[in-house]
Amino acid sequence: MKKKFLYISILITVMMGGCQKDLLTPDSETQVSTLDLAQFSTVARIDGQVRGLYTGLRAADFYGGRYIVYNELRADNYVAQSSNSVTATQTYAYTLGNGAQEVNGFWASAYNTINRCNLFIEGMAAKGNAVIGDATGKNYIAEAKMIRAICYYSLLTLYARPYYDGNGSKPGLPLRLTGNSVSGNFDLARSTVAEVYTQVLKDLNEAEIDLPANYSTALNNTIRAHKNTAIAYKTRVYLTMQRYADVVTEANKIVPLVAPFTATSGVAHALQADITNVFKTPYTTTESILSMPFVSGTENAAGQSALGSYFFGVVLYSMNPTGIIADAGWKSTDKRRSFIGSRSGFTVLSKYPTLAASNYADYVPIIRYAEVLLNLGEALARSTTSVNPRAVALLNAVRNRSDATTTFLVTGFAAPQALYDAFLKERNIELLGEGFRSPDLLRLGLTIPGKESIPAVLPSSPLYIWPIPSSELLYNKLMTDNL
Amino acid sequence: MTKKLLLILLLFGIYTKNLKAQTRIITGTVTDKMDGSSLPGVAIMVVGSNNGIQTSADGKFSLKVPTGAQSLKFTYVGYLSKTLTVTGNVINVALEQDSKQLSEIVVTGYGTQRKADNVGSIARVSSKELENKPVQSFDQALGGKAAGVQITIPNGVLNNPPVIRIRGTNSISLSSFPLIVIDGIATFTGDASGSSAAGNALASINPNDIESIDVLKDAAAAAIYGSRAANGVLIVTTKKGKSGKATVSYDAWVGSVKPRNLEPLLDAFQYTDLKNEALKNFGTYNTGPTGTRAFFALTNDASGNPINTNWYDYIYREGFSHSNTVSISGGNESTSYYLSGNFTAQEGIIVKNDYNRKSGLFKIDHKEGKMFLLGGKISYTNQENLAATSSGSLPGEAFGTGGLGRLAIVTAPNVAPLNPDGSYSIFNATTIGRMGNVGSDVGFYNPSTVIDLDRSNNELNTVQSNFYLQANLTPWLNLKTVYGIDYILSDNDAFFNPINGGSAASLGSAAKSLNKNKRWVWTNTAQADYTFSEKHNFSLLLGNEQQRSESDGFSGSRTTLSDLAFDNYAAGFATPATAGAVGENYLVSFFSRFNYDFNKKYFLTANLRQDEYSAFGANNKKGIFYGVGIGWEIAQEKFWTKAGLDNLFTTFKIRGSYGTIGNFSGLGNLASYSFYGTGLYAGASTLVPTQTGNDQIGWETSDKLDVGFNFGILNDKITVEAAYYKNSLGGLIYNVPQVPSAGLPSTPQINIASMYNKGYELTVNADPVRTNNFSWNTSLNISFNENKITSLSQGIDQFLTTTSGLESASISRVGSSLGMIYAVPTAGVDPATGRRIFIEKATGKKVLYSHNITTSGFLRWSYEDGTAAPVISINDAQVAGNTQPKFVGGFSNNFRYKKFDLTTTLTYQLGFSIYYGTNAGLRDQRFWNNSTDMLRRWTTPGQITDIPKLNFTDNVSNGSSFPIDVNIYKGDFVKLRNISLGYTLPTQFLSKAKISSARLYVSGDNLLILTKYPGSDPEVSSNGNSTSSLGVERNSVANGRTLTAGLSLKF
Repeated sequence: MKKKFLYISILITVMMGGCQKDLLTPDSETQVSTLDLAQFSTVARIDGQVRGLYTGLRAADFYGGRYIVYNELRADNYVAQSSNSVTATQTYAYTLGNGAQEVNGFWASAYNTINRCNLFIEGMAAKGNAVIGDATGKNYIAEAKMIRAICYYSLLTLYARPYYDGNGSKPGLPLRLTGNSVSGNFDLARSTVAEVYTQVLKDLNEAEIDLPANYSTALNNTIRAHKNTAIAYKTRVYLTMQRYADVVTEANKIVPLVAPFTATSGVAHALQADITNVFKTPYTTTESILSMPFVSGTENAAGQSALGSYFFGVVLYSMNPTGIIADAGWKSTDKRRSFIGSRSGFTVLSKYPTLAASNYADYVPIIRYAEVLLNLGEALARSTTSVNPRAVALLNAVRNRSDATTTFLVTGFAAPQALYDAFLKERNIELLGEGFRSPDLLRLGLTIPGKESIPAVLPSSPLYIWPIPSSELLYNKLMTDNL
Repeated sequence: MTKKLLLILLLFGIYTKNLKAQTRIITGTVTDKMDGSSLPGVAIMVVGSNNGIQTSADGKFSLKVPTGAQSLKFTYVGYLSKTLTVTGNVINVALEQDSKQLSEIVVTGYGTQRKADNVGSIARVSSKELENKPVQSFDQALGGKAAGVQITIPNGVLNNPPVIRIRGTNSISLSSFPLIVIDGIATFTGDASGSSAAGNALASINPNDIESIDVLKDAAAAAIYGSRAANGVLIVTTKKGKSGKATVSYDAWVGSVKPRNLEPLLDAFQYTDLKNEALKNFGTYNTGPTGTRAFFALTNDASGNPINTNWYDYIYREGFSHSNTVSISGGNESTSYYLSGNFTAQEGIIVKNDYNRKSGLFKIDHKEGKMFLLGGKISYTNQENLAATSSGSLPGEAFGTGGLGRLAIVTAPNVAPLNPDGSYSIFNATTIGRMGNVGSDVGFYNPSTVIDLDRSNNELNTVQSNFYLQANLTPWLNLKTVYGIDYILSDNDAFFNPINGGSAASLGSAAKSLNKNKRWVWTNTAQADYTFSEKHNFSLLLGNEQQRSESDGFSGSRTTLSDLAFDNYAAGFATPATAGAVGENYLVSFFSRFNYDFNKKYFLTANLRQDEYSAFGANNKKGIFYGVGIGWEIAQEKFWTKAGLDNLFTTFKIRGSYGTIGNFSGLGNLASYSFYGTGLYAGASTLVPTQTGNDQIGWETSDKLDVGFNFGILNDKITVEAAYYKNSLGGLIYNVPQVPSAGLPSTPQINIASMYNKGYELTVNADPVRTNNFSWNTSLNISFNENKITSLSQGIDQFLTTTSGLESASISRVGSSLGMIYAVPTAGVDPATGRRIFIEKATGKKVLYSHNITTSGFLRWSYEDGTAAPVISINDAQVAGNTQPKFVGGFSNNFRYKKFDLTTTLTYQLGFSIYYGTNAGLRDQRFWNNSTDMLRRWTTPGQITDIPKLNFTDNVSNGSSFPIDVNIYKGDFVKLRNISLGYTLPTQFLSKAKISSARLYVSGDNLLILTKYPGSDPEVSSNGNSTSSLGVERNSVANGRTLTAGLSLKF
């Protein structure tokens, strides 16, 4: 009988000991939990978060290629060699519905980045500034605002009627300026286009004040925002709004009145003598104001998103023989013609030549100094409704850098419109493959030319801009579709 | 006193015997009626005497009997006794297994119970129904075997885990797969492979090693498994040794499998004609010297004949398989053992999709002294799951451009895999060579290149082992401790060639990964069984259990081969990339069960379990679950007897149960946390939001009600079990979609939704004929289930589920069942223009689509009157069909005539639809090859047809762009799952070879399917274990039809 009690007591001891409490609350060994804002608890984590904001911009659906691809394919410079709807043929052929992957994917990607910025700005106030110090904190918050502005501006180019149409009175975007970290009711109506632009400009103006003038490395001057980044981006935003005088004001901060056109404050942006140097290793010339870096092996561009995959490696889209490459004024000796190559028997864009084997690891440009010069030149002409000599000088700066044999003369333009057109064409050549063609047509209310069997799209057409994503319409009860 | 009496009687007997001395010797053999094996140890008694003997090891006996003896009685445990009149000197007897006696026990959690005492809803599947089937894992053989259990084999990819549903789909976002407990250890389930070859974790068990599977369905039965039991529990018990002479068994089968019912495709001539017609209709046909040339053309092969390739021949095959199992079992009074080894090599219907398994199981049970029982098992299995490349048929793969199911139907028939010089015909890194066709792709990857050169293999090494010690402190009290482990080591090895295919653009790649899944379970129980006053039977179980699971993985991939001749990960590559993954969880539980019955007439069972689980939110770690059941055996009541009902009913039991149990299967280990994860930005580390957590997350609850009755009539010749159940599911985890513009990093999981499953189950077993020469057993089960979502979350009344992230053909709405088909309604083809007619949701108006708008006067979308209409899209889709069968079940018959036996198993699923998305691809007007349906395309005004005018690149008219109702089909089917004919060799042939029994059989699986579904098999589906997107088939490979022949020997 004693024996039995012994067994029973052993068993009970075992059963009572049968629980290891600490195993019930595991810690992640790979990720930072947000308990106590731990993501702001060290300088390294805050530094990582700032860089993480840029990776939002660099996402596959955004500047990781697709955002540029969409804006390129909407225009007339390419013909499809693939019929795969996964690789943007619906954008190309204007058969997009609300449910299309690109319509939902880019929206989610941009808003995901916006939310990162909002969370970061709030977290810095709550904890981060105390950890890293107010001075650096200010820089970082300015970077967040800069990135948020890029996101909203980019969304506007595809999902909202251009600013010219009713002076921004048309439906814009849900304007979200606070961070979301847990589930909730996020119904929010669209602000007007003008209201969103106002926020974009506010962010850029504040960023300009708080961003550092420059960084210690050429790499960071290219992949992180500094004062001139905000200024340069403002020239684009104002140009899109047709606020040409403001373009001039902003651009003048970084473009001297006369050549040589080199920024005199902050990073010394200038055109490179040879444009091809901008698009190859190390991709960090002073011409690149902001670019997204890719590193083969560790930071790959995704196969069905990378510019090199669409336009070169896989030849999903080849050059439209009747597009800008057919332009007689774009001489064969023009250095920029070296970006038109041949692959698998097709004429293709070879601006992003890195192949899948090296994971399409070309840097993706967001802002180049050449664009700023063209923004300024066009704005000078349009704001003065004249063949502005400085405008012509800027046009020549861009043209002559690649084609010394073609120089535009003030007298060569019969009317201001001819100069406007010259700027548009120069942008089409200079910025080919950088996602400008569709926004350029839209900001001016121009018809999008057809290609192959795909007809032209009139500014009045519902196809002129994208529809609102079906998922946003479904879950945001206050959201309205584009008509 | 009695002893003395016995002695006197014995003496008297001897005396009498001596006195008369008139005896004779009767000899004979006792065999099993079913398989003819000899039965050792059968007791043979001379009726009316104490004279008796046992059969020897080979089933023979020799007995001296008095001449006056009239008859002999043969009795053997587990068999029906038989009494035979003595006629000659030789009596050969075949004893029949007592099926009732065998099924008398059910295995409950942490114990067993007499079936008659059980009040829970438990279905039992015995070893006979699982052995020697041409399957990789036992779950594939369960279809139709038990009421309320739905098994769906998703396609012909070898070792692909079947979808198991017990009483409907019981979860939305988590898994609805049942808990599988093998010899007391909750085991890993799902696809353990990390390659393109599926690797069902449950295939590590040789189906021939399984003694029984008990399916726990209601709260009374399953609540003992608490937070994991809501989807039902399958308790798998492996075989163990029986005391007696060692029995050696050998089972072998060979088989062949072929794909069934492949869709007929256009041949090269038809393809070339139709695609050119499509180009012409679209206005881009151009063979001329100027402009963009585009046309399709035949190409001659080396011998001058037009190339006409049937890609099915390159992708599908007849696969051959074999399986061999040897087992030895036996023991003595104190120790018994079971040892088995299995080797099987199986080929699937897809070229290079192979499965090899080597397994060994050793079990031993020992009784030490009067008090202790101890023993355990060791099982080790090595499995190879092999594939050349993706089948395109596992969950998430449907739209892969390299999926073989898709390549077979998409690739143009007018091109060949090889150039005349023997090299692979390729256009570029990712597309097959165009040969004579100009201006368009004619396929994705070259199927031959990827089949010949690529590989995606998996190797699983599995160890399952346990050790137990039990102390029987008193006859009514025992203590038991069991410690078990379950390890799966999954190695994956993949290579993608540098010529054409998924990694050709990066000049080849190789990948390896190793994932370790390790679990230990330690269970301690105390069990007391006590009877008071002979009528009050009590049983009490108390237990504690800990389960710890850890996973750790490492993977590497390398691209850009340094030398194109190599295909090994260890060879030279330019670019490496590595990754790792870790995981852990911990479950600690206390549980109890209380059983009481009064005089085997009134029964009560109560289960209680408290679970604490590491993945639950910080404030919600602990849950308590229970189930209570009651039963009433009316046939034991006097009034029943008085009313004379006992003449008809042997038993009649009414039972009912209720309880609340849980489910967390599929819940992420760290789902409760919000996370920031790391990455890189130009080489410097980043930290970005990666997971939207929910610190309140917990288990899903299932309130289970079950009422039913069982009865047996005509001395249990017919038994019937009927049940009504309702599972009210609450707190279902739902990935509550947040407004996309809120920008959350992931969709948070919240316990918010509710749903129910209710239905009826009926099982009828009958034993209509049982004679010496002929017997017939039959079993029918039918289950009716209704699934309805009652709420999702605030403001959300529906959600779409995509197939492989692209096609939204499934919608789940409050008020209807999970995963209804969602498709845009159409109204045929306009006879005047051949345009597809869609129905606009907002107005109900007909909208005609023209892919070609170069022809003047055609708008892409227009109303019947020619005015412009808005773009038709997925937004115009409507709910168009239920994918969950209303009725599922099986019908089995066993016939035996003398030495022949015939078994048939029919399974059926009725009352559901399938979205045959593959059909959209088969009719897609890009370069894709088409089904022969396209031969009826619209060509002339006034023509009435269901196939629109061909327009090259048209991906809208036939459902590629968004799902359309044309591709919805009734899925109802009745399937001859298995038919098997066996012959048991007569004993006299065998005894010389020392063989005690031998049975030969031939068997066919999936031979016949009655269905209106046009695809390969109405069970085929693309979304695996998904809860909300079943019934969608997109580019999946076919299912197979199998013929096997086998042999079972016992020594």
